[in-house]
Amino acid sequence: MSRIIERVRQALGVRANDGRDTLVFAKSDDFVHCADAKATERDGWMESIRIEAKALNLQVHECPDLDACGEAIASLARERDPEWGTVKQIMRWSDPILEGLGLEGRLGAEIAVKSVPGADSFSQSEREEFRREVIASYIGLTTADYLLADTASLVLLGGLGRARSVSLVPSIHIAVVPRSRMLASYRQMLSLLSAMELPSNVSIITGPSKTADIEATLVHGAHGPREMHLFVVAS
Amino acid sequence: MLKQDPLQYRELAAKAVQDKQLHKALGKLRDKFGRNAVNLYNQLSPEHDPRQDAKAVRRKIVDNLDVVLETLAANIRARGGHVHLAETGEDAVEYCLGVAKRFQVRRVVKGKSMLSEEIHLNDALEAAGIETVETDLGEYIVQLKGEAPSHIIAPAIHYTREQVGELFAEKLGEPYTDDPPTLTAMARKALREKMLGADMGISGGNTACAETGHVTIVSNEGNIRMATTMPRVHVVLLGIEKIAATLEDHDILLRMLTRAAAGQKISTYVSYVGGPRLDEEPDGPEEFHLVLVDNGRSRILADPDFREVLHCVRCGGCLNVCPVYMAIGGHSYGSPYCGPIGAVFTPLTQGINACHHLCQGETLCGACKQVCPVDNDLPRMLSLLRFKLANGDARWNVRPQSLPTKLVFGAWSVIMRHRRMYDAMSLLAGFCQRLLPRKNGWIRRLPGPLGGWTRGRDFPPLAKKSFARRWARRDTTRRDA
Ligand code: SF4
Repeated sequence: MSRIIERVRQALGVRANDGRDTLVFAKSDDFVHCADAKATERDGWMESIRIEAKALNLQVHECPDLDACGEAIASLARERDPEWGTVKQIMRWSDPILEGLGLEGRLGAEIAVKSVPGADSFSQSEREEFRREVIASYIGLTTADYLLADTASLVLLGGLGRARSVSLVPSIHIAVVPRSRMLASYRQMLSLLSAMELPSNVSIITGPSKTADIEATLVHGAHGPREMHLFVVAS
Repeated sequence: MLKQDPLQYRELAAKAVQDKQLHKALGKLRDKFGRNAVNLYNQLSPEHDPRQDAKAVRRKIVDNLDVVLETLAANIRARGGHVHLAETGEDAVEYCLGVAKRFQVRRVVKGKSMLSEEIHLNDALEAAGIETVETDLGEYIVQLKGEAPSHIIAPAIHYTREQVGELFAEKLGEPYTDDPPTLTAMARKALREKMLGADMGISGGNTACAETGHVTIVSNEGNIRMATTMPRVHVVLLGIEKIAATLEDHDILLRMLTRAAAGQKISTYVSYVGGPRLDEEPDGPEEFHLVLVDNGRSRILADPDFREVLHCVRCGGCLNVCPVYMAIGGHSYGSPYCGPIGAVFTPLTQGINACHHLCQGETLCGACKQVCPVDNDLPRMLSLLRFKLANGDARWNVRPQSLPTKLVFGAWSVIMRHRRMYDAMSLLAGFCQRLLPRKNGWIRRLPGPLGGWTRGRDFPPLAKKSFARRWARRDTTRRDA
């Protein structure tokens, strides 16, 4: 470790840190302050999300409340068929907003809805069990910590009840986000993150998985979800 | 995999120039990626060029790399990750093998990583009996074919859809089709099984955030998230120069990277990964290793003339606009880094003499500088490499390339500076050129060592009367009138 740092120092012609870190890690006032930008232009934001989403093949639905949202998601779940296998199972983050959708009641025995177990730690076998359940799910249901107006991106912080694979392994990713979590820009989001203790995993997701590796032709559904729905809930 | 050798440049390039399939494929790249990037640039405000901001950020980081590296390593360790600084490629490979052995890994799934190509990691893993699967669709195609990638971000861009169709029919036992969505679905199925059944994921990183202790990985396909979430171990390979200090740096760097790479505002997935899963997470890797690789970079860092090349964010943008790359494709460069950036980076890491063709093949047209999101002055560095090849250079162990060439150019420079000599020579040349074979008025072949000029193209003949003589005539007629 120190050997390479030494070599780098030699190459740079410096001896030690010499207080350069204050310069290197300094942030502009503009960046620091953009975290608390006032959310006065929210309507324009939704329009921007709609426009971006269209180009991304991300389907945006706006709902007045969680109840309407739950109903819409339930009918979506009934319409779609699993890509792998025949079992219809939904895996959802363990989160109060998603519980508020009441999917379990709406879908009954028709479609199983499982939630990410919330525990302080997991044994090997519990993790394997969870993994099997995610792989067996055709829909992954999450919420997001932020929704970015300038790129229509979702920001998902890792943590308790918020497993990473739920937004990744199932063929369809559905995210339910309250309108109040909208931010103006990627920059504003970074500014907010930069003021907090980050989890070991942050995923920023902008539309369904895609590739352009064959003759630069755009194809949706490479290795992640091939279909993605964003439900923005007004209240 | 085919052995790559930059000394085969001439031979490979000559073949590639004739390859119609290749040009059809590369034309798509230029028209889609190249044009998209230029369009996005044009949308930016004219008063403010964000390329200059990105350049300033990269310069700040590279000029203070020691501080940034130390901070990154400390923060990753604080989150329970392991950090290894590898001096050489072999060192990095050995470390990866060590981790694989400790976890008794049988299958590795990889996200696209140029660095792993640079250090020949796949060969080493396979030699150790570990199945190694590339998961990026382009990389996967290239791997099935037993070839090396031909583009930094679109590795299989040199294939047409028909060729991919034939390959999948042969290797995956699927019915032939040339429909990209169907072909993608076939790969999706095959690779999903691989990714869900692997013990170790290896990925590159697009940058890292020293201050928070995260590695930043972008992808559109989702394969990288798969490879870094599902297996028990995640190993990241990162060149020591590819770090950012703060999240504020990310704002500008990521936006410029995705714009220049594929004309996107942002990639589908941007992941900040810093260490293994938390106790309360039921998924994610149990162990996280970051391998920071020098492999010749600190030597570049020490030379103020070339340090700028380390600002590169590997967007591949310069390839998409390079007329030479478009004519000869990525494989001709004989190194994982191709196109204009490769023509500078490869000689500096693999030896300037051994890679002399690369910098001599580029045209110095300047398109690469214009499109580069960090405004890297590649043409300047290409000229400098040529200068060192002509004159020799002790610091980089460059032998002057050819004494006769040096003598001829020395003589040329003397002649250019003396009017009389120049006139005499052009008279003589004007006379001699009558003896040369012609086609449509152009000279087909130049004699002796000059023949290189006409190997691939015809040469314009000297005018019957030189400009200087005509000008002198014109001058006298005017005075007479
Ligand atoms: S030199 Fe510039 S354009 Fe080329 S890959 Fe690097 S950052 Fe991109």
